[in-house]
Amino acid sequence: MRKFSTRVLALSLSTAMLFSMAACGGKDEEENPDATPTTPGQTDNPGNGDNPDDNPGVTEQPEAPIADYIYKDHVSVLPTYWNPLDYQTNDDGYLSGFIDGQFYTFVYNDEIHPVEGREPFTGYKIIPEMAASDPVDVTEQIKVSHPQFNIPESATSGYAYTIDLNQNATWEDGTKIDADSYIYSVKQLLDPKQLNYRAADWYTGSKAIAGAKAYFYGGRTTKIANSEDGEAMKYQIADLVKGEDGTYKTADGKNVYIDLDEGYAWLGGDSLTVFHDDGYIPDEGCWNVLSPLADREGLVSVTDETLNALFVFTGTTTDVWGAETWEQLGYYLSIDDEAFPEIEYDGNVGFFKSGDYQITIVLERALSGFQLYYQLAMGNPLVYEPIYESCKKETNGSFTTNYNTSVDTTMSYGPYKLTVYQTDKALRLERNENWWGYNSELYTYKDPTDNQIYKMYMTEVIDTQVINEPATQKQMFLKGELATYGLGSEDFEAYRNSDYVHVTPEATLYFFIFNGFTKAINEREKAADFDTTKYDLQTMTLTTFRKAIAITYDKELLCASVSPARSGGYGLIGTSYIYDPDTGAKYRDTDQAKKVLCDFYSVDVSKFANLDDAVASITGYDPVAAKELYAQAFNEAIEQGYITDSDGDGKSDQIVRIEYCSSVSNDFIKKTIDYLNEKLKEVLKDTPFEDRVEFYESAPYGNTWSDKIKNGLSDVVLAGWTGSTLDPFGLTELYTDPDRQYDGKWFDATKANLTLTVDIAKIGEEPNMKEITMNLKQWSDALNGATVESPVGPVNFGDGMAEIDTRLTILAGVEGEILQTYDYIPMLQNAGMSLLSQQLYYVVEEYSPIMIRGGIPYLKYNYTEAEWREFIASNGGELSY
Amino acid sequence: MWKYITQRILLMFMTLFIITGICFVLIRMLPLPPLPAEDPHSVIVEMQREAAGYNKPYMVQFGIFLKNIFTKFDWGVSDKLYIGREVADIFLDKLPATIIVNIYSILLSIPIGILLGIFAALKKNTWIDHTISTLTMVVISVPSFVYAFIIQYVFYYKLNILPALMNAGKDFFTWSMFKSMLPAIMSLSFGVIAGFTRTTRAELTEVLTSEFMLLARTKGLTKTQATVRHALKNCMVVVLPSIFGQFISILSGSLIIERIFSVPGVGTLYLNSILAPDYPLFMMLTVFYTSIGLVAAIVVDISYGFIDPRIRMGSKK
Repeated sequence: MRKFSTRVLALSLSTAMLFSMAACGGKDEEENPDATPTTPGQTDNPGNGDNPDDNPGVTEQPEAPIADYIYKDHVSVLPTYWNPLDYQTNDDGYLSGFIDGQFYTFVYNDEIHPVEGREPFTGYKIIPEMAASDPVDVTEQIKVSHPQFNIPESATSGYAYTIDLNQNATWEDGTKIDADSYIYSVKQLLDPKQLNYRAADWYTGSKAIAGAKAYFYGGRTTKIANSEDGEAMKYQIADLVKGEDGTYKTADGKNVYIDLDEGYAWLGGDSLTVFHDDGYIPDEGCWNVLSPLADREGLVSVTDETLNALFVFTGTTTDVWGAETWEQLGYYLSIDDEAFPEIEYDGNVGFFKSGDYQITIVLERALSGFQLYYQLAMGNPLVYEPIYESCKKETNGSFTTNYNTSVDTTMSYGPYKLTVYQTDKALRLERNENWWGYNSELYTYKDPTDNQIYKMYMTEVIDTQVINEPATQKQMFLKGELATYGLGSEDFEAYRNSDYVHVTPEATLYFFIFNGFTKAINEREKAADFDTTKYDLQTMTLTTFRKAIAITYDKELLCASVSPARSGGYGLIGTSYIYDPDTGAKYRDTDQAKKVLCDFYSVDVSKFANLDDAVASITGYDPVAAKELYAQAFNEAIEQGYITDSDGDGKSDQIVRIEYCSSVSNDFIKKTIDYLNEKLKEVLKDTPFEDRVEFYESAPYGNTWSDKIKNGLSDVVLAGWTGSTLDPFGLTELYTDPDRQYDGKWFDATKANLTLTVDIAKIGEEPNMKEITMNLKQWSDALNGATVESPVGPVNFGDGMAEIDTRLTILAGVEGEILQTYDYIPMLQNAGMSLLSQQLYYVVEEYSPIMIRGGIPYLKYNYTEAEWREFIASNGGELSY
Repeated sequence: MWKYITQRILLMFMTLFIITGICFVLIRMLPLPPLPAEDPHSVIVEMQREAAGYNKPYMVQFGIFLKNIFTKFDWGVSDKLYIGREVADIFLDKLPATIIVNIYSILLSIPIGILLGIFAALKKNTWIDHTISTLTMVVISVPSFVYAFIIQYVFYYKLNILPALMNAGKDFFTWSMFKSMLPAIMSLSFGVIAGFTRTTRAELTEVLTSEFMLLARTKGLTKTQATVRHALKNCMVVVLPSIFGQFISILSGSLIIERIFSVPGVGTLYLNSILAPDYPLFMMLTVFYTSIGLVAAIVVDISYGFIDPRIRMGSKK
């Protein structure tokens, strides 16, 4: 045995030595000191585990470029599931536009795609892509031939369209795409068993297909919570009616359930089941009554026995929660909302074949003009039947598919096809030679620089790899191995004036959302571990205090300190929002929007030559006024009993501690909090709150951060909304609908009135100016197409219903009122700043919210790949930007 | 001996079952990410969760999980991170990169670490020993990602002799791939080399001062003969099992190094499966890592008996 173990030991060490020497030494005979180092996705064939034809030998060579024009992209997260019927994340949407197509698409206007009255490359033109021509409105015909779709009698247009399909369109293997391809795909999309995530895009919202929801929900009954906001209840416990079987129902006969699995806001978003599992239950016996009776969805029928058990369960005070009264049990109920019988697709869903290459779409709501094209330029639900069928899998009633998760399960019909994919590492797209567009004049443009006509899609190959570290990205970019590099704050000084830098405005405007939920704040102060002699939370609910905070910070300086690519944000609606897609006119450039800012920041317009100058003077920073407001807030807080001044030194005894809500701790949040505290300290000097206000970072709340803010469990967060930049009017719902508001628990938009003088005449009629007072919710509803009862009768200021000037006046009015709540304090206008490789250039440098800068279709190359390598080598392997 | 091994294996399966059960229930008790109320997609996600059985009692879910494994060897399909893909496929797809990088790292580290340790021990209390010991402490104290950035900057950006990232693809045994892995291998190796150096030096120093070494010299063996034949063998009783320990860490991957050098390995897989949460993926990884840990523990214990004949566990006196 000793000999054996000695040999084993010797053998192990020898092997280790051998490998180590091999690893350390051994110059490769093919190594060429002049060659550019190979990197994944650039010159190597990255290989693909799914492809048996991969040739390992290829990677051994310092080979020639695989194409002349290679776009070298990088991402933090590679898509993993790009199934158009079911993808869920933006990362998974990465391949969209490369391997698919839409019914209609946008191109720049130029001489080939002229738009009357516009200079080339200053606007856009909508062209048919997977469609062959414009949609044809067939509302009148469908209303007669398909009454089951319930098109309103009064409607004459906008509800039904036929779309002729592009007969040249094929899959990458050459298979034709016809009407049957679409019908199959939409059937799969809406299949009640498959529960595809993207189904909601087609049964709700602007392009909801008639009958789609009924088909998708077939065999199900939807439930609604008896109380959605934790305040009002639809049905009171006392009003429930007991049936012969001892089960209670509503007076109108709907089934009622105790919902054990519903998350409740007053339980921090947790369900009763979670509360039980977490041990917050004083009596296990009552849970043993409820739990066995729960169905798969956690619903328990309401009987005397279950109600009593629920009362014991929730009605016993613990340190954490409870003490519900009998009436309050109604908060835990759910009610049958709508029952959907199982139905057939054919004849019941408004998406059907009306010719071999023609489909008809019937919509739930009228849609026309730009919005129709815009909606049909997104989310084409086309799947390739043979592969899709082979990828389906059903386990225990749960349906899954691995369609579009690898090269083998992906079939392109767009300008590129996926040829290499390695999970979490790299992918490669190469030209799809069967794409019809390469031979179409639609995809040509006249270059404004040389007036020559070019085909779009000069890029032959797109190599994308995962690179997480900014330092690595920067090094690779400077060595010419990446197409772009997003600047970080540390790069700003070095590259801000570079010829290759591009600023891309983004929709989001970040504001501080300030906690004003007095009830929650009071509860937090009552907690045993909160020392009210040292700390205070209530002062932050004072409007005066918030006003002071709002003008404590120089927003441009904040940006320069924490996020240089961004700029100061001053209103609720960002600078990218376009109210007229035809002209590209922006809301923030209107007089109405400018006046809102002047009012909010107390700018005396009469002192300026014009409104633009007045707006330009706004910095949102006024330390002198802020000091006065802090002094005023101190007096108010003393009066309210929020803080004390026991020694009479004119300074608060307590520190106002403001928790900065962090989803995940990172450098940006730390820098922001440091900046906030540093500037606060400066402004608070010689005020009653000197050294008595501080921001501190919360524990990382992950995805629950918004719930913490909405429920007053955390105090401030820098957040914003990202939405359609072509619809600023829809943003009002975010501030007036309690389901969407961050401040829904402490700001009721139905109780805030706004008086405006607006034109109530319909488009084309004689102006009829009226002064109307309505609450903000009503204004918002009317602005977004609902008919609302006003003091002057029913009004509707929706798209196509009122003049644009009227709509802008309302939008600005609502924005101004929301700003005055100081629940939202605008801080940063989002933007990205990046460098573009010297190998590339954009045909149009100017950013356009619709066309961006043209994207891959318009991207051009200064060098072929071989020339580029030579160029880099001639620059010593490192480029200067 | 065989009885001992059998007992350990049976105990291992019992431990595995208990750990699996506990992990299954604990991960399912974590609240699922809240869904935005205003998003119509939330309804669909709720339905998907329902269909996937998330609302069933935990023990029922665990029963289904075990049944699928024992009857169909079905570990499930990823439902969050890699939707639609078999979790076993995902793991097996990513495991080779982690193993290869770490094996190269170990193979580089063992001889260098042991040789440096021997050298330091033989030159005890000389400047050579002090230099090696000081460097060892420095290397152990500095996190590996610091070396990673330095290595990347120097060898890729300044000297241009190594690529910034590991190549894509699975042709692991080509020169091109090996070269692209070198920065990651070097970053991982420094700490391991330092560990082996320190362990070897400490053990060998102790053995060299033993009385039997004096006896060996008095028998007429040269210093080299005595060291190689007697001292090294004895110090390997401690050093060799530590190699097994390093192999265990291979499989858990190196989260930060993999991220920096874009190694498509399993480093972040476990963490991400908890954060997502992706239950099927988490459970598959839990069972795998637990099994590896338990098997490695048995192997280490048994290996002592082979390395040092004086150790015979389970044998009767």
